[in-house]
Amino acid sequence: MKKVAAALFCFIFMLASLSAKDAMRFKRDIYPVLQAKCMACHGADPDNLRGGYDLSTRALMTAGGDSGKPAVLPGDPDNSPLYRAVQWQDPHLRMPPKKNDRLTDAQVEAIRLWILEGADWNLNPPQPIRWDAPPDAHGRKPIQTSGGLADEWTYRLYRPDDLWAFQPLTRPAVPQIDGVDHPIDAFIQRKLREEGLETAPPASRRDLIRRVSYNLTGLPPTAEQTAAFEKDGEDGAFMRLVERLLASPQYGEHWGRRWLDVARYADTGGFSNDYERPNAWRYRDYVIRAFNEDKPYDQFVKEQIAGDNLDGGGLEPLIAVGFLRMGPWEQTGMSVSAETRQFFLDDATNSVGTAFLSIPLRCARCHDHKTDPIPTRDFYRVQAAFATAQFAEPDVPFLPSENTARFEEGRQRIEALLNETKAQQSALNAKEEKAARKWMEERGMEYLPFKERQKLPKDQKPPLAYGLTYQDLGTRKALNKRSRILAWQLDRYRPIALSVYDGPKAPTGNVGARLRLPESVEGEPVDTFILGGGSIHSPGESVDPGALSVIEMAEGPAASIPSGLKGRRIALAEWIADGENPLAARSIVNRVWQWHFGRGLAANSNNFGATGAKPTHPELLDWLAAYFIDSGWSFKELHRLILSSETYRQSASHPDQAELEALDPRNELLARFVARRLTSEELRDSMLQASGELRLEMGGLPIFPEMNLEAALVPRHIMGSIGPAYQPSRTRDERHRRSAYAYRYRGLSDPWMEAFNQPDANAACETRESSIVTPQAFALMNSRSSQDRALAMAAQIEAERHGQTERIERAFQRAFGRSPTDAERQSAERYLKAAEKRHETHTPTPFVYPTSVEREMIEEMTGEPFIYVERLDIYENYEADLKPWEAQPPTRALADLCLLLLNANELIYIY
Amino acid sequence: MKDRTHAQLSRYGIREMSRREFFFGLGASVGAAAFSSLLAGEASAAAVDSPLAAKPAMFPAKAKACIWLTMEGGPSHIDTFDPKPKLAELHMTQFERRGKAFSPMAQGKRYYVQSPFKSRKVGKSGADMCDQFTHLPAVADDICFYRGCQGESVDHPTALYHMNTGAKFGGDPAVGAWVTYGLGTLNENLPAFIVLPEVAHPQGGAGNWSNGFLPAHYQATPLRSKGSPILDLTPPDGGDPDHQRRGLDLLNELNGYHAQQSPNASDLNARMESYELAFRMQMEAPDALDISSENEKTRGMYGIGEKATDAFGRKCLLARRLIERGVRFVQLYSSGWDSHDYLERSHSALIRSVDKPIAALIQDLKRRGMLEETLIVWCGEFGRSPDNGMRRGGVAYGRDHNSNAMAMWLAGGGVNAGSVVGATDEIGETAVEAARPIRDIHVTILRLLGLDDSQLTYFHGGRYKQLSQTGGEAVAELIA
Repeated sequence: MKKVAAALFCFIFMLASLSAKDAMRFKRDIYPVLQAKCMACHGADPDNLRGGYDLSTRALMTAGGDSGKPAVLPGDPDNSPLYRAVQWQDPHLRMPPKKNDRLTDAQVEAIRLWILEGADWNLNPPQPIRWDAPPDAHGRKPIQTSGGLADEWTYRLYRPDDLWAFQPLTRPAVPQIDGVDHPIDAFIQRKLREEGLETAPPASRRDLIRRVSYNLTGLPPTAEQTAAFEKDGEDGAFMRLVERLLASPQYGEHWGRRWLDVARYADTGGFSNDYERPNAWRYRDYVIRAFNEDKPYDQFVKEQIAGDNLDGGGLEPLIAVGFLRMGPWEQTGMSVSAETRQFFLDDATNSVGTAFLSIPLRCARCHDHKTDPIPTRDFYRVQAAFATAQFAEPDVPFLPSENTARFEEGRQRIEALLNETKAQQSALNAKEEKAARKWMEERGMEYLPFKERQKLPKDQKPPLAYGLTYQDLGTRKALNKRSRILAWQLDRYRPIALSVYDGPKAPTGNVGARLRLPESVEGEPVDTFILGGGSIHSPGESVDPGALSVIEMAEGPAASIPSGLKGRRIALAEWIADGENPLAARSIVNRVWQWHFGRGLAANSNNFGATGAKPTHPELLDWLAAYFIDSGWSFKELHRLILSSETYRQSASHPDQAELEALDPRNELLARFVARRLTSEELRDSMLQASGELRLEMGGLPIFPEMNLEAALVPRHIMGSIGPAYQPSRTRDERHRRSAYAYRYRGLSDPWMEAFNQPDANAACETRESSIVTPQAFALMNSRSSQDRALAMAAQIEAERHGQTERIERAFQRAFGRSPTDAERQSAERYLKAAEKRHETHTPTPFVYPTSVEREMIEEMTGEPFIYVERLDIYENYEADLKPWEAQPPTRALADLCLLLLNANELIYIY
Repeated sequence: MKDRTHAQLSRYGIREMSRREFFFGLGASVGAAAFSSLLAGEASAAAVDSPLAAKPAMFPAKAKACIWLTMEGGPSHIDTFDPKPKLAELHMTQFERRGKAFSPMAQGKRYYVQSPFKSRKVGKSGADMCDQFTHLPAVADDICFYRGCQGESVDHPTALYHMNTGAKFGGDPAVGAWVTYGLGTLNENLPAFIVLPEVAHPQGGAGNWSNGFLPAHYQATPLRSKGSPILDLTPPDGGDPDHQRRGLDLLNELNGYHAQQSPNASDLNARMESYELAFRMQMEAPDALDISSENEKTRGMYGIGEKATDAFGRKCLLARRLIERGVRFVQLYSSGWDSHDYLERSHSALIRSVDKPIAALIQDLKRRGMLEETLIVWCGEFGRSPDNGMRRGGVAYGRDHNSNAMAMWLAGGGVNAGSVVGATDEIGETAVEAARPIRDIHVTILRLLGLDDSQLTYFHGGRYKQLSQTGGEAVAELIA
């Protein structure tokens, strides 16, 4: 009777869910759970079964254990002890017993359905799946891919809303809403109205010009520009401002810098040696030019992934493809070359996925993706597209648009340092040879030079390094390293591009110098294998190059990637930048939105997968993607569209702030604009602008701003020695350039910039953090660089204005772009008076920049300490900033006021 | 809780501020002391809201703080705590390493190398210790020696990143960052996570103590052994508290005007508070770091003033002072353990430099009743090979890198003290008993500090991340 009832129920359930019994369920959803959670105690060891219950066959499973009662009643989950146990409701029957091991709700539900359907035990279902089957009771569907490592994965079910990013792009109609003309506003307003929320009023003119200036150029408007914009009430004033900003070269610097975050840009290779990369800056400038020239994004993608594959693209794409090599990488005599090669391949695969598709492919490196329809096979299929990418640093003549200023003086400097180092090395060699000559002559032997005596037996030649002290040995090692580093630096002045070519062989052994382009490229491409657990020691099945099968097997474009030596990457790039590929356009449009509004429509701009945040306005995202493609993948067109919306131009303050925070704490619905803090680069550049020191020279060799001297001189352990000290650029004109041009070491971050959340360059940065930490107060208040900016600002103001009131006025204008209120002016006056009094009785002690630094190191082969003195040549002829001891007390007092203004919240937040 | 707080806030006439904003802005600042006392009942709510406020442990645990002694370069297990008499038999016999996955370093003709040091059994546990250690035997029974840890990388920076952050490639949060994320700090006037590096930063640089993707509150503050201990702690002219106070007052006034017209009160208040905290840290840090206030006897115990031990002795004493003041995690570096050649000379000198200070640290913590509340970890980034290539004509015996075995020990709160766990094979090539990957060591260390690796997660880039990367299992034998 019970059975009949159960069967009837089962039948009704099937009708209700419109789904046939799921033949895959046991193999896909049940057996792996039993294996992972139960069988350790119930089946793995037949001689040691807890409660005598064995789950290793269907018969034993249903029969139950020592209690003598059946554990599973097929068709009747509610009366099956096994189901009740995993439900964890009955305090006397809870399995698995540890709370941490409890099954998820989804697993419990799967067990219920499986028992309901008869508790089958089919590990080899005959016809696994119909890809076009309707969704199950929970709306889940199987998704076709190139196939996982196991059938459970291949046939698993997905919730469609987790797959939003993989769905074909739609071209939704713009909602028709009364009184709303702008398409973006229409999408935003529709949702706001559904939620009964009012949009914030328009931002003030002052907030608006500041917001749009920072967002497009990373720099504030001047007080004069702000005043003019406040007065200009004409229609179109705002869009004229937008056009001016989009046309300014600072736009490319700012947006380029944003892309460089995604591209994990740095000037060095990281790890043991942190060697300089030959002219990584050429990639940086390529990116900046691309934004300024409004290079179509599809072209931008192809050049960065496959610039060397492009015919007729000129020289620039050879620089662009440096994208693939922007990650940390090195190969030393201690590295296993197969591992470093794999590290590059993994990084390139993951970075292309993260940057262009917003899918971090790394998650599928060791196993099929836990949540997304990306089999590990696809990871290696995509990786195969890079398997023929080999490193080269060919000569690519400098372009007319590239800044080659200061090459001659730079080259002369490095050559002189190199010659000096070589002379020191020779002196040590001479000392060793002199001792060796003595050693041999004392034994009545004829002196032979170093090379010639190598073949002599051990007792007929002096021991290695004979006659040298620990000090000499350590110094020699440091000098050897220094000449190697200087040799790398000489490459700065050669037209080298950090590039790749299609070829069969990767470098093996130590890579300690520039890699040349081979004369001819021949040979077979290496095979790409699915690596078990991501390890090169466990190669599995070999795969052909391919793209993400989930896209190809739905309605998306199919990639045809050749499996020969040439052309793999361009085929992959064309697939990515195909207008029908739903990921690429959504990815970049979402980033642009994030860079304007502080948060993407999908909040994880590097992760569109199931675990990333779902888009708040999916239709708007698609509409924008389509608009972007239709307007020729033009960034500037997209900016014009976004910036002209009322959504962008609304205030950051909402009349009903409290209600809004309760209803929409993360401001996902955009009922107002969101204030943000300046990034480290914006803050430094703004301070230089406020002090009147900012130099807008573009591109070229990286510059070295002043860094906290202690941090700059901290010896950095590199392989077998100490890295060179950080020295700032010699001239003010160089040092005071924009932060986008500052040299980025991987192994040494500028503590000032780091305090303000400049990201680590080892991974693609999705979004800038703006946490508030104490070192920020130290850096902005106490550091020499901040104090130097304040003093320069004071001196500039003194040159511009006479009289204290006028100067206070000017200080506020320079810092905040506005005049002080009466209350502010009075407080500032009081402060200045006290400050002047202090400065009259306190004379600052002059500080002298060091011209050498003593390095005490442990010689690691002997454990003996030695001292190495490094010359700091830049400081020998240094053009320092204005210093306090060169300024009069009133200037120093005004500088103190300026420093406070530079520290104020009004300067550091944008509304 | 939230409602109650709101009710209280409105009682004091404060509207439109979330609890978080309220406490960020006022709860901890000097000027608000009176105000805070009105809200004494809400103290725990305040504590929960500051990202660095002390948080309860997830498990009951003895250790509340951690001192991590990093021997950078890869100390030789064979020549410290895991002697291999078999190597004396094999000394200078030749063999060739086979297989593909070796770096050029490990290729070519290889020779087994015996230890230059004698070894003896120390403490009740009978742990092995080479005779170069003369002070550590006295505390041997406070130590749990472990021989089972295995790394994955034979390159210094990747191996060190792995030991420090759980990932080989830099950019992930360091153990200290995870621990402060999990437990907060007991003294917000000092940094919660402090690193005492060598004058020279290790290979891989600051990535070894990075907060990675965790919020910047959890980043390490490296204290310099020369110059200003904390960067820019004071202005270049040394600072004048009265003048600074006047400046802060004006800054607060300007920020106050600004806040009246601005919507982001939470950030604005937090930023104002960070300046007050900086001001207090400026006052408190110099005292914490001033080891001259310790008496002669204590300084002598750590070997301060003796050439060989002065540098590391200072660090060990400083570590004790910091832990005493509520700092959660202190990591000390001793560098130069990469003895490819002249093992005898270099390891002797290095052991001498750390032996007395470490023994003193353990004894000092013990006599102050702090050892039970402090976890001490000693390790490098990998161990060393039983063999070497024929360098320096075969006279400068040394050892290359070996990630299959290494030297490591734990001491202090919750540790299975007075025991030796795990074993390596007879030549010290690889761990064979209780062999566990680094992630399991990380899980163990978190466990000893009352944290559960699988609960201590942070959502980043669309995924919950954890120190062990993908989960691990504590090494039960290491826990008392």
